[in-house]
Amino acid sequence: MLLAGGQGSRLYALTAKVAKPNMPFGGKYRIIDFPLSNCANSGIDTVGVLTQYQPLLLNRYVGSGQAWDLDSTDGGVYILPPYQSAGERGSWFSGTANAIYQNMDFIEMYDPDHVLILSGDHVYKMDYSKMLRAHTAAGAACTIAVIQVPMEEATRFGIMNVGEDGFINEFEEKPAHPKSDLASMGIYIFDWQVLKRYLIEDENDPDSDKDFGKNIIPKMLAAGEKLLPYRFEGYWRDVGTITSLWDANMDMLGTTSMNLYDPQWPIRAKSPIRPPHYAGPMARIVHSIVTEGCVIEGNVENSVLSNSVTVGAGATVSYSILMPGAVVEPGAVVEYAIIGEHTRVGAGAHVGGQPDGSESWGVATIGPDVAVRAGVTVPPSAMIYDSSEVQA
Amino acid sequence: MTDVHAIVYAYHSSPRLGELTRTRTNASLPFAGRYRLIDFALSSLSNAGVRDVGVIMQRDYQSLLDHLGSGKAWDLSRRRGGMRLLPPFGNSRGDYSGTAEALNAVISYVRDIPQEHVILMPADILCNIDVAAAVNRHVQSGCGVTAVCTHRTPNGTHYRFTTDDTGRVRQILFRQLGAGPGVAALEIYIVRKAVLLEILDRCERENRFHFHRDGIAAYLERGGTMDVTMHDGYFARIDAVEDYFAASMDMLLPGPRASLFPTDRPVRTKERADVSTYYGEHARVENSLVADGCIIEGTVKNCVLFRGVRVAPGAMLENCILMQDTVICEGTALKFIISDKDVRVSPYVTLTGSEKLPLVIPKGSEL
Repeated sequence: MLLAGGQGSRLYALTAKVAKPNMPFGGKYRIIDFPLSNCANSGIDTVGVLTQYQPLLLNRYVGSGQAWDLDSTDGGVYILPPYQSAGERGSWFSGTANAIYQNMDFIEMYDPDHVLILSGDHVYKMDYSKMLRAHTAAGAACTIAVIQVPMEEATRFGIMNVGEDGFINEFEEKPAHPKSDLASMGIYIFDWQVLKRYLIEDENDPDSDKDFGKNIIPKMLAAGEKLLPYRFEGYWRDVGTITSLWDANMDMLGTTSMNLYDPQWPIRAKSPIRPPHYAGPMARIVHSIVTEGCVIEGNVENSVLSNSVTVGAGATVSYSILMPGAVVEPGAVVEYAIIGEHTRVGAGAHVGGQPDGSESWGVATIGPDVAVRAGVTVPPSAMIYDSSEVQA
Repeated sequence: MTDVHAIVYAYHSSPRLGELTRTRTNASLPFAGRYRLIDFALSSLSNAGVRDVGVIMQRDYQSLLDHLGSGKAWDLSRRRGGMRLLPPFGNSRGDYSGTAEALNAVISYVRDIPQEHVILMPADILCNIDVAAAVNRHVQSGCGVTAVCTHRTPNGTHYRFTTDDTGRVRQILFRQLGAGPGVAALEIYIVRKAVLLEILDRCERENRFHFHRDGIAAYLERGGTMDVTMHDGYFARIDAVEDYFAASMDMLLPGPRASLFPTDRPVRTKERADVSTYYGEHARVENSLVADGCIIEGTVKNCVLFRGVRVAPGAMLENCILMQDTVICEGTALKFIISDKDVRVSPYVTLTGSEKLPLVIPKGSEL
């Protein structure tokens, strides 16, 4: 069950019109490609995608699941929006646990032994089948994937404290004084019958936020259930903020992050039908990722270009992320910026700026479908939603 | 477009393509970084909403079968209709000598076509045709046959048609070279099924093998009606290594690229789960077409790079075509080279072909 309904409000203009899992990433991908590919590679054939916020583009992207080999006869990918039943008013998903609670009938149709809960806003490669094996071998009621984080950053995460028996004995959400450095990755495997019981119980608790981290896990701990930590080693990033999205994209340029070329663990994406990219006679492309359909006549360095991006002659793109269909017209400069889908940066315009050491500096962000008028300057840290902001 | 059935000829291997067609037919020759030649015919058909496509194959079709799969990439895997593969049936008399013989070899399939019109297309002509417009014109003209033609001059020998004041074909001209009267045939025909069966039946009885040289010529002599419809966008016939090289280099020009890859008639192909292409710290790229999944750390100039190519630091490539998963090691310098799939060129190798005689490195070789 893939939780894909969150708004991703800390991505501001980028998620004003689309759900976060639909966010382009690393040139070829969208965030949701990572959990969906992991599912397919792990041999999971039935995936429910819980949507709520701005689901149209996400629904269209996921489609039949064929791009991830998930269009099997018995299983498949199912988009699960909130719905109404006879005699009920129906309601929006009020929390992660409530989203699963509202879809218990879907899970019951498959009568599973275990349910895997994933979130749609992380970038990583993980074999869930190994996690399931650890879960069954330990006889746990729930297994939570955890990753070691630097102690000083532990205050930003949900931290798991592990007892001598190897099971989790305490869970602290964003603790001021963390006792361990094992952070929850928001990936859970539950025995379905156990989870069902807790979901129903939690739903009837008027004081609950209906959230896995805040309510379900603490309740299971309090009841003495066996909660197993499953240690994950490897690349894992939350891409919930402008800075983390920019950082994780830049990671794709390095060799230390994730091996996306591994034929044994392909991350699949639904690609638009475009010819190979073309680099013109005056193009300069250095330390960058470029995808099909791009036409590059200018300079590109330290940047990540999604499909169908155009960079005009004499334009410079550096330390930036250009989402599908973005156009940088001749002579424009785009640096330390994220440019949304189909956004056009006019000739000679200047978006973003190099870090100047000041507190106020940040990556400049322009949302999708914006037209930045020729010659306009968009300063660092800017957050542009609408063309009217960049007409002057 | 449910009233037209398509048949694509995919059996031919040009001897002058040499090593490039040793393990495949022209139809599955890789082109423009990620395509096979047959993708252009299938995409033209699919974009026009043609639902039924028969693909005639005869031998060496393993590569083609692997590429086509169920036809899904072209939306031709359907419950009703879709793509049908047509290998030879019964006793085959050796290689098909012409398109009429190939059609007669699958005549029971042709007879069973439920549609009123049939479009016949070679898989190895490189063009992106507006099939819907051509078929509409054919149906409206009421003619038995419509030939897709061009005002441009094809490479190599070709057929031409002269037309009368009303645009109807008067005469077929054989073995033309260079510019000439009338219009040049792209060897793509839209034919009424009844007329097609009549032409094929005559060819079979008279032991003739060529659809245009024998079939169309005799049809015109009998007073058959024939219209032409023009395709003046890019096209190339791929019959020899130099044709292949020239057409590949054409893809570096904006005009031909725009004509072959218009956004409203996309060219579809078999998907591969590739990463985007990565350019390294010391990469240099100039006037090149580069597919996804490459890692480029050397210098690439006037090249076409297919999916998954690796170019190591210090390597220098000029006017080269590197097919899928070619690996070029450090310090190697190549000019006018066509490397087939899975070629590996060791460090510090220098190889130079020429524009008229590009050097072909066979599939899977290590140099």
